[in-house]
Amino acid sequence: MRKRCTCLFSFAVALLLFPVFPDLARAQVQEIRIADSKGDWGYPNPFRHYPRGPGYIRMSWVFDTLVWKDRKGYMPALADSWSYDPGRMAFTFNLNPRARWHDDQPLTAHDVVFTIEYFKKHAYSWISVDDVSRAEAPEPHKVIIYLSKPYSPFISDIGGTMPIMPKHIWQSVDNPEAYNDPKAFVGSGPYRFMDFNKAQGTYLYEAFGDYYQGRPKADRLIYIRSGQPLVSLTSRQVDLANIQPDMAEPLKQKGLVVIKDERGWNKKLMINHKKAPFSDKRFRHALAFAINQQEIIDKSHRGFAMPASYGLLSVDHDMYNPGTPSYAFNPEKTRTLIESMGYQKGADGFYQKDGRPLKIELLSSNITVAGQSAADRDGEVIKKQLEQVGIRVDLVNLEQTTTDSKVKSWDFDLAVSGHGGVSGDPRILNEMISSQYGAGSVNSARYDDAPELNRLLEAQMLEMDQDKRKAIVYKIQEVYAQALPAISLYYPDSMAAYSPDKGIVWYYTPGGISKGIPIPQNKMSLIKKSDE
Amino acid sequence: MKENPKRMRRGQYLLAYVLAALVMMVASYSVPRWLPGDFVTAMYSSSHVTLNAEQEADLRAYYTQRQGFGRYVVDFFTLNWGYSYAFLTPISGLISEALPWTLLLLGSAHLLSMILGFLAGVEAAWRRGGVIEKAGVGSMTILEGVPEIGTGVILLLLFALHLGWLPAAGAETAYVTHSAGRWILDVVRHLALPLATLILAYFPGNFLLTRGSMVMVLKEQFIETARAKGLPSLRIRYAHAARNALLPMVTRFGLRIAFMVTGALVVETIYAYPGLGTLLFNAISMRDLPLIQGIVLLSSLMVLFVNLALEFVYGWIDPRVKHAS
Repeated sequence: MRKRCTCLFSFAVALLLFPVFPDLARAQVQEIRIADSKGDWGYPNPFRHYPRGPGYIRMSWVFDTLVWKDRKGYMPALADSWSYDPGRMAFTFNLNPRARWHDDQPLTAHDVVFTIEYFKKHAYSWISVDDVSRAEAPEPHKVIIYLSKPYSPFISDIGGTMPIMPKHIWQSVDNPEAYNDPKAFVGSGPYRFMDFNKAQGTYLYEAFGDYYQGRPKADRLIYIRSGQPLVSLTSRQVDLANIQPDMAEPLKQKGLVVIKDERGWNKKLMINHKKAPFSDKRFRHALAFAINQQEIIDKSHRGFAMPASYGLLSVDHDMYNPGTPSYAFNPEKTRTLIESMGYQKGADGFYQKDGRPLKIELLSSNITVAGQSAADRDGEVIKKQLEQVGIRVDLVNLEQTTTDSKVKSWDFDLAVSGHGGVSGDPRILNEMISSQYGAGSVNSARYDDAPELNRLLEAQMLEMDQDKRKAIVYKIQEVYAQALPAISLYYPDSMAAYSPDKGIVWYYTPGGISKGIPIPQNKMSLIKKSDE
Repeated sequence: MKENPKRMRRGQYLLAYVLAALVMMVASYSVPRWLPGDFVTAMYSSSHVTLNAEQEADLRAYYTQRQGFGRYVVDFFTLNWGYSYAFLTPISGLISEALPWTLLLLGSAHLLSMILGFLAGVEAAWRRGGVIEKAGVGSMTILEGVPEIGTGVILLLLFALHLGWLPAAGAETAYVTHSAGRWILDVVRHLALPLATLILAYFPGNFLLTRGSMVMVLKEQFIETARAKGLPSLRIRYAHAARNALLPMVTRFGLRIAFMVTGALVVETIYAYPGLGTLLFNAISMRDLPLIQGIVLLSSLMVLFVNLALEFVYGWIDPRVKHAS
């Protein structure tokens, strides 16, 4: 009788505790499977992953940074705490003494110093350590990083993006790109890299039990290539996948959790502002007034997008300037501006000047968004809109690398393009506007003709006070939208869905992971928090 | 000394194939270089990384180390096919990982669709004018017009999404430890949908071709003679008629080998099935020149080898070919 009472009491206690501590009832997850439509994103170490978001994410499971971002903002990672001394222009990081490498060696401040010195010799394209003068390790778990001049994106770029590398492994490696030893994947992150099958596009990671933030929730993390991630998701072959926005409701009905990103990716129209008539600001304004952003969204994306700010920065960014000049659809203004440049309409209804027709070429291609190729009809809609106001357009659909190559060499008139990062650090403005920062990017306007804009872009990089920086960033958006060297069109809805069965909560990181990666695979989703 | 004409003919054959192989080597070296853009543009220009001019120049210097044609030929014959720009691993390793899956999928698809199409075509021609023949020709003509992407998506939605009988992606369940028997079963389950899609694409053509050839052969006098001799119908059909109707099918098989690499790209994409098609497509998108060269050259040489082999198969199937040459 007494035994039965004990059993009943235990059962009652368990029932009572269940809603309060659901994790007590939740066993360690055996594995998580994530679908990816491309599969191959390179090997997950700093020198061998592809320079795209999915490549960085695959590396981020293995290599930790000094700080990291979760859904609430910056949080401690390898560094427990950090501070900035403006007098010495130095950041001090106090490292977590529990941090260890996957080969059981302790992680110390010397590894951080080594990483900075190594990246000075062998550039890691995701960050620039040019403005770091030196780093020193006064104590085993304290590192001081000195700047040669103020560098406002430091926490985003170096603190939150630079993977810390083990000195005892890499100090003898002179050609990091060719280093193909298993030790090249020894990191300090929550997962050990086990395998990458290049033919099948699959990755296998196993939990690092001694991870300094606690053992990850899932023992194995697996990426699989799936031509139809949605089918893989609904048939429960994977736990997480990106989805098309119009599938959100049916998936919710099937018990899946659907998540939506903030507006951190913008589609835009690149303009060859180095040649006439595009070099004339009036013509660029005329183009902007002729383009109906909402019509593109409705016809090309079934309404699943939002018109973009002409100032480039996302409307969700805390430094977004609501007073940024805008160009609401107004064909009449377009006609006035074009006619002020000496163009007249011919008998065919299209503009011409000195007997030569105004005819422009519009390049279009399928652009990769968050690792997935996204087909759309943006080029067709824009062509129709421009022809309605009297600008004849040749629409040329090309494969993406061919388009990129033409844009890169300024061999184009207009090109449909797009990029992320517009909700991340405002450094993106420099990269997407100035040729000094964005020479290598086809998404960058590479526009240096406005001295005031150039000055402001430099100033925001040097301003360590966030409020003062915000004022500069406000002004940049205004001046950029006035100059309009490229036209931001819209922010597409970006969504993912996951199965709640395993108790893992996935989320889009505000501002994106690292430098603004809009992928809901934050490693913190698999780390148990102290409050859980 | 009198030269052996048979040996001379064989020598001429081989010489023609050697010349063709050389032309293909030149083409595989030069054609990928005509593609607009380069690896650095493809990999970095629209990536998350924004390079400055100096970083870009350094990367371009690293990835565009010039390799002359002479070195390319020597490297090819010494099996030193170089490293992929994107994977930074040896080309030979990448190809050897993907090739078995291509051979499994396309080899099975060609073989099965050829056997089934041939048998069905022979039987349909033998029953010429009947309901079965008419229905077969009608349905196969319709099926011949349905693209692989159409049948692929329908099969995927039906068997993977709605019924849930078969997996939607991959060639095996990744990172699951099986016994050998269960692994084979797993591979077969993953193969089923892509294989069915390809068979549905190839089978109608084989059926129609065989039926057409067979109808012509059945009008020949030697068939009438065989009938008059009272030979069993099965023997007339297969030993006399079908053997002579086989030549066009063998020619078609040889031609299809040319599409061995790219032929399954659509199916590989729908089912995320690994193979040389996907590897080549990604290599072209990324302007990974060494990898493009390796795959193009290997597939070209495969086509040459198969066609050379077919020269001998022709003679074996139909002795008239041997005597005519």
